[in-house]
Order: sequence, then structure tokens, then C-alpha cells
Amino acid sequence: MTELLSDFHEDVDHMTDEEFDAAFEKAQELSAYFREIGPKYDIENTFAYPTIAKFKESGLGAFSVPKRYGGMGGNILQTSKIISELSRGDSAITLAYNMHFIMVGMCMGLFSEEQNKLWLGRVVEGDIVFGPFSEQRAGFSGLADMKAVPQPEGGWRIYGKKVWGTLGEASDIVTTNATITDAEGNLPESFEERVEAESFFVAEFDVDENGQGDGIRIEKTWDALGMHATGTHTIHFEGFYIPEDGFVCEWRAGAFGVLEWASLMFASIYLGMQYRVLEEAREVLSKKTLGATFGAIAAAETKVSNVGHIIDGIGDMASRVELSRRVVYRTCQELVDGDDDNWPVELRFPYIGLAKTFCSENVMHMTKRAMSLVGGSSFKKGAIFERLYRDSAASMFQPLNSDQSCTYIGEQLLAPDELND
Amino acid sequence: MSTFKDADEVYALIGRAMEACVVEPAFVEATKDGNLVVLIKQTDPEAYILVDFPGQKVLVGDAAQAASSTVQLRMSSDNANKFWQGKLNFTLAMAQRKVKLDGKRSTALALLPLTGPIFETYKAILAEAGRTDLLVG
Repeated sequence: MTELLSDFHEDVDHMTDEEFDAAFEKAQELSAYFREIGPKYDIENTFAYPTIAKFKESGLGAFSVPKRYGGMGGNILQTSKIISELSRGDSAITLAYNMHFIMVGMCMGLFSEEQNKLWLGRVVEGDIVFGPFSEQRAGFSGLADMKAVPQPEGGWRIYGKKVWGTLGEASDIVTTNATITDAEGNLPESFEERVEAESFFVAEFDVDENGQGDGIRIEKTWDALGMHATGTHTIHFEGFYIPEDGFVCEWRAGAFGVLEWASLMFASIYLGMQYRVLEEAREVLSKKTLGATFGAIAAAETKVSNVGHIIDGIGDMASRVELSRRVVYRTCQELVDGDDDNWPVELRFPYIGLAKTFCSENVMHMTKRAMSLVGGSSFKKGAIFERLYRDSAASMFQPLNSDQSCTYIGEQLLAPDELND
Repeated sequence: MSTFKDADEVYALIGRAMEACVVEPAFVEATKDGNLVVLIKQTDPEAYILVDFPGQKVLVGDAAQAASSTVQLRMSSDNANKFWQGKLNFTLAMAQRKVKLDGKRSTALALLPLTGPIFETYKAILAEAGRTDLLVG
């Protein structure tokens, strides 16, 4: 579990503070670029294609790859800081690249040594990874309906579709989960067998400019309230071949120990958004004047930064940012230190997930509050606040959401001590 | 009804497999610098097996209960029989509360991928003891 990851990191040189500072500077530059072009791709509702070259040039794709595979060796806390900085620039573009960081983090804990050398080596060379997992029915809790049919020559052909395929348009490597069937393509009949047959795979992802590949294609279906520039499309697997060495592990057993890379990177996205909301709200509200007013305040000249509920509002937002920062950083640090070993094993993932749900609730509260404090101009299309409000709504969906977390925790705490035989 | 007659049979079969486990080279290498001492608490029949990896020793019964451990693993004797034959999905069993793991468990979980050779050892012990009826198909 996390101890494995900790050990994994202890095997290599940790990223030094100087190395981190240099990488963070790169993240700041990339964040500024994302900030500059983000509004255009939000309006156009497409993936921000020019970011691909910039992202690769930054070298940040290899940030969390251990040094022994040629990467920078950033741990989960350091990676979280990079993600938040990028998200401060543009939440949707960063949410797309967040997929890469999530999959690199998860894969390095699940890959064999040979797979790490091959695929992480590719990441160091600049390749980008994505991992479509959600299906129409299946996803975080639903076992994969997508099938991996064994082939006589070895390997599998994959049939099915994934409906939230973020970052596919920029990716060179695909990871996914599918359930291994019999030779005729029948799913295992018993529940236990089906759990064991659900497997995690990695393969080359090679599609043309229209998203068409050999047995795999991207169908551009993304059209959502927010997070427009993520390029989250439907990925069709239509007999996509994965050779034997593309099998990684049994999915549920493997994912159990590495899901913090998903949960905490999502938390980092929403923490970065909180930084941005506070920054933008301060910028507007510190300068705004209302002139002569005759309402709740009757005065010849009303400066909003002197208005009680504005002051309180900014203070409240700043408090939420600081609390969220501490929750995310502390959770990351506890994982780095192996302190999660002291948590009940059944509660490990929901406890890690609390950082994400906390940031999610705070960012949604903050975007709404910021619009209220700034006033009607924030509601107009193109205003950063309306954009952040839409984007923050995406935080309700990535697992674990608040309801799932509470259900997990409550169920475990109310369960009888006796074994369930 | 349990597949095992009594605790003594659990010790003679699973306890013996654990004795092979603590000297298995992969386990020795993985646990030599740690403090992994697992107390396996089985139900139906009630049985206690302490597996001291760094000390490469196994205690059973009252001696196991009296000793200190860093990890406690609870499961029925039937599920233990399945597990040591590689026929129990540990992650699923934990999710279904058929197995309970307490204490400093990460090192113990890290050993799961190494358990393969023990399965064959345990099956051989069952065959040698004339308990092929305990083999899970």
C-alpha cells in the first residue's frame, strides 16, 4: 500500500528543495501560459491543443517519475503543489493534464520493474498518459463491462467504450480496465470470478488527427457545463489489441493501494482554483467603489473594501483556502510518512478522499460567494467568476464525492465487529 | 460446519505451512529488517497462530495469544484454508468483512504477492496428511 510507495520513493533520491524550486518555476511559467489561453478554449469548448508542446517542453510530465527511471522524483506532496499552481492558472486545462499525473502516480505503484522501465522511460521522453475508466454503468464502484477477450496468439482484444476519456487527444499511452472473458467473450458468471477478472492494462495509444486508430477511436462527445478545455471524450475500443506484456495487475486489488494519486490530485486541482478565486476576488473588491449609495449603506462615497460583509467574505474565503491547503498538504505528508498505516484499513481511501471533498465543498462555496460579493458583472459570460463557478461544479463528480465518503465511513463504523461469514 | 476437526488440526496443517512460510527466502528477504509479527486469529474452530517473521518462528494456541504482535489477522478457518491455497481474493474478502486486518498492516499487505509458493506447500501438507478433501477446486 502506501508503505510500498514510500519504500519505492526511499529507494531513490528524493527531490531536493532546490530541484523542487526549479520545477515549481517551470510550473509557474506553464500556469501563466494556461491562464493566458484558457479563456479562448473555454469559449471554443475544445481541448487546448497548443498546450501539448508547452507541457512537453516544460518537462513536468516526468515530475513524479522516480529518478531511477530518469524522472524528477517528486513525491505526492510535491506533485500536489505543482498541480495546484497549474490549476491556479487555468482549472480546465490543468484538469486535463491532471489525468497524466494521476496515471503516472498510480502506474508506478502497480507496474512491474520492466513495465516501469519501458513506460515511465517513455514518460521521461515526453510521452503523455491517460486512463479512461468510467463507463456508462461502470466506474469507481461498478465492475468494468468492457471486455478483454483472450487471443489465440496471446494478449487480448478489448471491446467496449469509456465515456470520460480525458486527455486522449494529447496522449501517447493508454491505461484502462477491462474484464477478462473466456475465448468466446463471455464475462465470468460468479461475482468473485468477475472481481478477479477485472484487470488493468497499458498499451500504445496511436490515433490520427481525427482520433482514429487501429481498433480504437476518440468520439468527440464533450459538451458540459464547465471544464470545457479538458477534452473529455468517449473512447471506443473496437477490438483494440493489447499484447501480453500490457497486462498490469488485477484492477481492484491494485487500485486499492494507489488511488490516493487520483483523489489527492483532484483535491489539488480544487485547491488551485481556490487560490484563483481568492486572488480574483481580492483584485476586484480591493479597488471597487460604488460612489454615492443610499441602501444598506447611505454615504457619499462607498468603497466596497470598507463594507462589513465584503471584508468578512474575503476573510471567510481566505480562511477556507488556508484550511484546504493544510488539509491537502497534511494528507499528502501523512501518506509520505506512512502514517496511513495507523488508519483502519477499510477507511484508508475515504479518509484520503476527505481532502478532495473538503476542497470541493470549499471551492463551490467560494465561487458562489465571490459572485455574490462582486455583483452582477461576475455573472456575465467571459467573467472569470462565472467561469470558475461553472468549473467548480465538476468537483462534485470525481470519486470519492461527499456522499460516497460519508457512506463508506458510516458503513464501516456501524458494521458489527464479527466477521461476515 | 468447519472443514477442520479442531484447533489442533488447524495447527498441524496451517501452522505447519506457516513454519515453511517464515523460512521461505522471499519472505525472509522481505521481512528481515522489520518487526512483522502476525497473529492469525481463526474462528470455527477457534485457533491462534503467531507468525514471527524476523524471528523465523511460529507459535500456536495459548503461547500465540500471549505473545505480542504487530498485525492481527482475523478470518474463519474455512477462509484460511481457502486463502492458503490461493483461492480467497483478499481484497474482496476485506471489502466483504470476511477478513479483518488490524495493526501496522502495510508490510503484511506487501507480502501478499509473495504468497504463491506457500500455496503449493500447504496443498502438499494437506495431501501428506490425507486431507485432500480440504483441497479447494
